[in-house]
Amino acid sequence: MSTVINEAVRDADVLPERIKHFPFPFSGDIYRYSANVEPSRKEVSTEAGAWGGRLLHIDEHYLAELKDRDEVLERDPSRLQVLPHMRPAVWDAICTLLPALAEEYPDTVSFTREGDLCRWRNSLQNLDVEFTVGDDSSLPMGPLRFLGSQIQDDLVFLDHRQDALWLDAGVVTFAADWSVGFDVGMKFLEVHHPVPRVKEEKIVSRAEQFLMRLQPGEQYRRTNWTLTIDRRLDTSTETYPNWAHDRMTIADDPALPDRLHLRVEIQHMIRLPHSGAVLFMIRSYLLPLRDIARVPVWRQNMGRVLAELPDDMAEYKGIIHYRKAASDWLLSA
Amino acid sequence: MRTASQSPATGAGCEPGFRGVICVSFATTDALQDHDTGGMPRHDLRFAAATPEAIANLRSVLGHSRVGVRVVLAGPPADVHAAASVAAECGLVDEEMTLVCDEVGPRVIFCGHCHTSTTTDHPIGTNVDCQGCGTTLIFTDHFSRRVGGYLGFSAHAEEAA
Amino acid sequence: MTGTALQNKAKPLLDGTLQLEVTSVSAQTDSITSITFGGALGELLPSYVPGSHLVVQYGTGANAYSLTGSGSAPTEYSISVLRIENGAGGSLAMHALCVGDLVQVSHPRSAFAPAATASHHLLIAAGIGITPVLSHARYAAEWGASASLIYVHRPGTGAHVAEARQLLGPGLTECLDRSSFQEVLTRQLTTQQLGTHLYVCGPNAFMDSVLKQARDLGWPKSLLHSEAFSGAALDDGEPFEVRLARSKVTLNVPAGVSLLGTLENAGLTVPNMCRKGICGECAVPVLRGEPLHRDLYLTDQEKDDNTTMMCCVSRSLGQELELDL
Ligand code: HEM
Ligand code: FES
Ligand SMILES: [Zn+2]
Repeated sequence: MSTVINEAVRDADVLPERIKHFPFPFSGDIYRYSANVEPSRKEVSTEAGAWGGRLLHIDEHYLAELKDRDEVLERDPSRLQVLPHMRPAVWDAICTLLPALAEEYPDTVSFTREGDLCRWRNSLQNLDVEFTVGDDSSLPMGPLRFLGSQIQDDLVFLDHRQDALWLDAGVVTFAADWSVGFDVGMKFLEVHHPVPRVKEEKIVSRAEQFLMRLQPGEQYRRTNWTLTIDRRLDTSTETYPNWAHDRMTIADDPALPDRLHLRVEIQHMIRLPHSGAVLFMIRSYLLPLRDIARVPVWRQNMGRVLAELPDDMAEYKGIIHYRKAASDWLLSA
Repeated sequence: MRTASQSPATGAGCEPGFRGVICVSFATTDALQDHDTGGMPRHDLRFAAATPEAIANLRSVLGHSRVGVRVVLAGPPADVHAAASVAAECGLVDEEMTLVCDEVGPRVIFCGHCHTSTTTDHPIGTNVDCQGCGTTLIFTDHFSRRVGGYLGFSAHAEEAA
Repeated sequence: MTGTALQNKAKPLLDGTLQLEVTSVSAQTDSITSITFGGALGELLPSYVPGSHLVVQYGTGANAYSLTGSGSAPTEYSISVLRIENGAGGSLAMHALCVGDLVQVSHPRSAFAPAATASHHLLIAAGIGITPVLSHARYAAEWGASASLIYVHRPGTGAHVAEARQLLGPGLTECLDRSSFQEVLTRQLTTQQLGTHLYVCGPNAFMDSVLKQARDLGWPKSLLHSEAFSGAALDDGEPFEVRLARSKVTLNVPAGVSLLGTLENAGLTVPNMCRKGICGECAVPVLRGEPLHRDLYLTDQEKDDNTTMMCCVSRSLGQELELDL
């Protein structure tokens, strides 16, 4: 035991940033769905470092991921959906998230607003734009695509009506095996229909009640996880035929520790102040098993979680064919 | 059983400002024959299927109706779901709509890869070929009211070379 | 919200209040005064959802008042207050405010939001009930949404009449007596295009009557909105005492402080995560007394058993609770 701790301490000093800020989601050897919601912006320390001190996080993949998003949207515009009544919510998100980013990264970006006229500068993109709140034509690529070009998070907007939340807009280029083009227009409970267990356990209905009671300005978050082969952010239903096959071959691939990634989503839930819409933000972090294994406690937690995970959950997450190989690799060593 | 020729076949004739019950029947269903409107005036529409003309017709009837109206949709799932989606777009909420789907009959499956809708008589859980991209889809029970159909995704992608 | 007195004696449960300055006071009518609050530097205040209210503190009390702006990037919050001579005192305190006075206000809270999907917004207000629907009318105008307003007020006593006329033009119907209102209401309730949402604000009897007539004419519940204060947020609750059987101590849980917060202040460590009644982490065993369950986690059966409570949001129905802590 003591050797493990020493090793961890020694290694932590030299661990790269990607491991230090990685939101490792397991706190024990067993994982089950739960209403794991907590207030956002509270820093969580991990064996390797810490995550979660901010709402928005610019990391070393910023430009690459935004380029990736842009290419996905060029190829497949259906990843961006806005039902007409959600226009105000999209503008509300712009007026909420851009100032929030400016507050968290004052040396990198800046936002000013006079009445409805806004100015946005982003030094990472050499960008200096002016636009008018509510005037879609003032942002040539459209307001939601523009917002999606400034932050790494996928964005989903929910309208609150008829005592339910409705997924009525979003820009989702990095979906973990779902389709925003199919889901747009659904109620929250319908969106979650494919998820095993959550109906019996009332997790999703409780989550919806909670979200419907959120007051403007309140911010909460949760994490979710799956496994992804290669550093592939776009694992949406649309591209499933391109990557599904890897699920069958990875178990026998000697490169598994480098190709297989733990994918963690930090999901923020905020009530937008002016439109009253609920904004759901999904930020995806990928870390290969080889990096996970550099933190001994992570290696063991994740290895045991994968071994223990019930089949229905493993099947739903699409990891059933290779979770044993992944677990074996993590636990041997 | 009432035949299609005996029923009113078009949406014309619904007086402007209608606030009664609009009974829409697709294909050969007679499910609404004895539908209880609770004493509210009734307006019948019958269509062979939810074709673009039928949908345009329904839209126009709804455009002339006023809050207080109720809509009942009966027939094969594919047609009922298509009509319900349009009714929702026209502003009707769940409380204003009743869906009476045939237990069997064509359903719409939405291809998660190319987004083409394919209508099929196959039951949920079986495979269907997408009319858009040709992929053999597994037909799931994940349903979208806006699309009026079920999600399908490649049945064999994991095995494929 | 037209100035309903909150039941609480103490300061309302607010996640941070704002200290603002009175920037203008102007008489709308003989009995209605508009008051505007702003930051010391004229800075942007938090935006709000149309139809929101602000809780304004005065002396030992606090009242909720509807905000009359559209809520978009405001530098000022405006309310209009009807003077009630024999009320709890809030309206008199508001009427006594002068430019430059400092007040504590809550963040705006939303409980009467417009429906984003509405094809038309039918606004109905009586008297001071104009305030939240004026906010709706401004928002509709800003976004080009279709809206109309039936405004009932006695001749010469209508607040914000000029603004309503300007915002709504021919969409405004003013009714100066009951019978003309009834006639207009019946006509409008039977001639609205599908997707119209109805919003009503005014005296309770007025709202009840409008809502009942709408329902009788076949309006579904989800198209009907009225300004009701309850349900917007958990209130402070009543103070109570909690006895910790194992630690043998008794603690006071004041109004506005959670049981979880009280336990933590007393040095106890209680696992918790959401602090909002949903995650299930903060369950504590109850030995005696009847909890006032306000969480989303426990099932109805578990709540009825009264053997467990979620201490982050739930309180006590009686004066005292005993916990196995
Ligand atoms: C606020 C907006 C939210 C949206 C838009 C959303 C959306 C989604 C979507 C699209 C999926 C994938 C479903 C599929 O397979 O098609 C999903 C999965 C899931 N969601 Fe949510 N969700 C939200 C909030 C929550 C919350 C608050 C909880 C729980 C407290 C939750 C619990 C879950 C769980 C357990 C899964 C399964 C994840 C897995 O095993 O990979 N969701 N969600
Ligand atoms: S802390 Fe989550 S239910 Fe109390
Ligand atoms: Zn296809």
